[in-house]
Amino acid sequence: MSAVTSVLPYAVAAWLFGVGLYGIATSRNFIHLVGCLGVCQAATYVLLLGLGYRWGSIAPIFYDHPPGTPAVDPVMQALVLTDIVVGATLTALLLVLTVQAYKRGGSLDPEKLRPMRAGGKSGRDQGSSRVSEGGQQAP
Amino acid sequence: MTALLPLPVAIPLVVCAALLATAHLLPGRVPDILAMLAALAVAFLSAVIAVQAADGPLVYWFGGWEPRDGVHLGIGFSVDAASGWIAAFIGLLYALTFVFAWGFFDRTHGHFHILMLLFLAAMVGFCFTRDMFNLFVWFEVMSVAAFALTAYHLAESSLSGAINFTVVNSLAGFLMLGGIGLIYAQTGTLDFDGIAAAVAQGGRNPVVAGAFCLVAAALMIKGAIVPFQFWLADAHAVAPSPVSVIFSGSMVSLGLFGLAKVSAVVFGGSDQVQGALPMLLIGLGSVTALLGGWMALLQRHLKRMLAFSTISHAGIMLTGLGALSIGGTGGMLVYVVGHGLVKGALFMIAGILLATQASIDEIALRGLGRGIWPAGIAMALAGLLLCGLPLGTLDQGTRLVQGALSQQGHGIALAATAIGAALTGAAVLRAAGRIFLGLGPDPGDEAGAPSADEREKANRPLWLMLAPCCVLLAVDVALPASLIAHGLPRAVSAFMHRPEGGSLAEGPGWLPWVSVAAALAGAGYGLFRKHLPAFVVRPVRATQSAPTRALEILHSGLIGDYAAWLAVGVAVIAAVLAMV
Repeated sequence: MSAVTSVLPYAVAAWLFGVGLYGIATSRNFIHLVGCLGVCQAATYVLLLGLGYRWGSIAPIFYDHPPGTPAVDPVMQALVLTDIVVGATLTALLLVLTVQAYKRGGSLDPEKLRPMRAGGKSGRDQGSSRVSEGGQQAP
Repeated sequence: MTALLPLPVAIPLVVCAALLATAHLLPGRVPDILAMLAALAVAFLSAVIAVQAADGPLVYWFGGWEPRDGVHLGIGFSVDAASGWIAAFIGLLYALTFVFAWGFFDRTHGHFHILMLLFLAAMVGFCFTRDMFNLFVWFEVMSVAAFALTAYHLAESSLSGAINFTVVNSLAGFLMLGGIGLIYAQTGTLDFDGIAAAVAQGGRNPVVAGAFCLVAAALMIKGAIVPFQFWLADAHAVAPSPVSVIFSGSMVSLGLFGLAKVSAVVFGGSDQVQGALPMLLIGLGSVTALLGGWMALLQRHLKRMLAFSTISHAGIMLTGLGALSIGGTGGMLVYVVGHGLVKGALFMIAGILLATQASIDEIALRGLGRGIWPAGIAMALAGLLLCGLPLGTLDQGTRLVQGALSQQGHGIALAATAIGAALTGAAVLRAAGRIFLGLGPDPGDEAGAPSADEREKANRPLWLMLAPCCVLLAVDVALPASLIAHGLPRAVSAFMHRPEGGSLAEGPGWLPWVSVAAALAGAGYGLFRKHLPAFVVRPVRATQSAPTRALEILHSGLIGDYAAWLAVGVAVIAAVLAMV
C-alpha cells in the first residue's frame, strides 16, 4: 500500500466537505442546499470508513471465517450506520421545512426567505393574514 | 445506587413514547400533567444522584459491559456532582416551562410535549455520558428535537429561522463526528477515560489536535460563540416562547458544558490543546461577550434582543472556561445555572407580552405593559440581575469567573465580561422602561432593527404565566451562596478530574456595581435621549450608527454567509492550535 492510497480517503473527505460547504455558501435554492448538506455528510462517511479500513482483511462478519481472521473495524461501520440514520432524519426534516416555507413564502431562494429583516413591518401593520395562519397547529 | 443513573434519561423517553401512542385518546390537560411530572421526576432523581455523587463519580455500564484489562467495549454513564446538579437544574427548568406552557398548545395531540420530553432526555444524557459517540448521539437527538420545536408555528419567519438553525447545527454534527472518528482512530477507544489515558501518553500529535479542533468547533456552534453565533438569533427569535426558554436557558450553555467536559477530561493530557485553550477561549469569549451585548442593545424585537443577550452571556461563560482553573470552570458552571434561571424568566416575560398584548416589538409595545405591572417588576429585577446586581446565583457565578480571570491577569477579558453584562442589562432595562412605564417615545438606532410580529394564544390567566417566571427568579436569588461555595471546589475537581486546590477566588467587589451603573446609564440614554444635551447625544450617534449598520448587515439571515463564517471559525481554531 503506497502513501497515496493511505492519504487518498482523507483527501477525498476534506475535498467533499469543502465542496459541500461551498455549495451551501453559494446556494440559491433550498433543495439544492439540502443536497449540498448531503455532500458534506458524505465526507464524514468517507472519513470514518477510511479510518476503519484495514488492507487485506475481511468484513467483520465471522459466519464463514474462523474467529481471529483480520477484519476491518466494526465500530467505525457502526458509526457510519448511525450517521446515515441521522442524515436521513435531517434530510427529511429539512425537506419538510422547505416545502412549508415554499407554501408560505412562494419561493425557494434563501435570499427571499430570510427570517427577519430590518425595516420588516410588524404584524399590526401587515394585517392579520399571516398571523392567523401561523397559529398553533401541529407540524 | 448506580442503578438510578439511567432513570433520568429513561423516564422522559418512556413518557414520551407513551404520549406518542396515547395522546389522541387522553383528555385535555393530561399530557401537560404527565410531562410536568416527568420533568419533576428528572429533577428530583438528578438531585438525588448529585448528592450521592458528592464523594466521587457514580458509574453505570449499560448491559454490565464493564471495562476489562483496560479495554472499554461498553457504553457507560458517569455522573459527578456538578453534572448531576446541572441535570437537576435542567429538569426544574423544563417543569416550570411546562407550567408556563399550560394549555398553550391545544389540539396538538401532545406533539409539543413529546418533542420537549425527547429534548429533555437528550440533554440529561448529554450531561451523564462518558462515551464520545454517545455524546454525539445525544447531541444529535437534542438538535433534531430543537429543529422541530423551532419550526413549530410553521409561520414564514419561523420556518426560515429553523432552516438556518438546522443547516448550521447539522454541519456541527458532521464536524463532531469527524473529530470523534479521528480520536477513535488514534486511541482505539471511545470512552472518555480511555481516550484521556491514550492522549496523555501520546505526546504532541496532529491527529489529536485535529480531532479537538473539530469537536470544539461543533460544541462552540451549539454554544453560539463568534463567529458561529448567527443561527442563534434567527432561531431563538422565532421559536415559540416556551421553547426559547429552554433554548436560551439550557441548550446553548450545554454546548459550553460539553466543551468544558471534553477539554478538561478527554483532552486534558494533550499539552498542545491545553496550551491553545486559554488564548482561544478567552479571545473568542471576550469578542462574543462584547458583540452579543452590543447587538442586544440594538434590537427592538424582544426575543431577538434576548437571543443576542444569550450570545453575550455564552461569551462570558467561555472566558471562565478559558481560565482553565478550578475557579474558572466552577464559576462557569454556577453561571450556567444562574443565567438559565434569569434568562428563562425573561423569555417567559416576552411570552407573557405576546399572549396578553399580542406583540413582541418593543416600540409597538410602548406603554402597553401598564396593565400587567407585576410582569414589569419581574422584568426589571431580571434585567438588574442580568447586568450583575450582586445578589443570587448568577452574581456568584459572575464573581467566580471574574475572580479566575483577574487572578491570571486577563484584564481585557475581565473588562469584556463586565461590559457585555452591562450592555445586555441595559437592553433589558430599556425595554422594561419603554414597555411598562411608557418612556422613550423617540427610538434610536433600534428603530431600524428587524422585527416581525407574531401572536401567541391568550388563553391563560396572567398569574399562571407569571408564577413560573417568579419561581425562576426566586430560585436564582434564594439559592444559598454558602452551600454552593462549600460544595463547589470538590464538585469541580471531580468534574475536571483534577486534584482539589485551595479556595476559589472572587473578582473585585466593585466590578458588578460598575456593570449595574453602566447598564442603568445605557438604558437611561436609550429612554431619555431627547432630554439629553446635544453634546452628549451627537458624538454617540456619530460613532454608533455606521458600525451598527455594518453589524446588522453582517447578521444577514442568509445561510450561505453563515456557512462561510463557519469555515472561518474552524480555520481560526485550527490556526490557534497550530501556533502553540
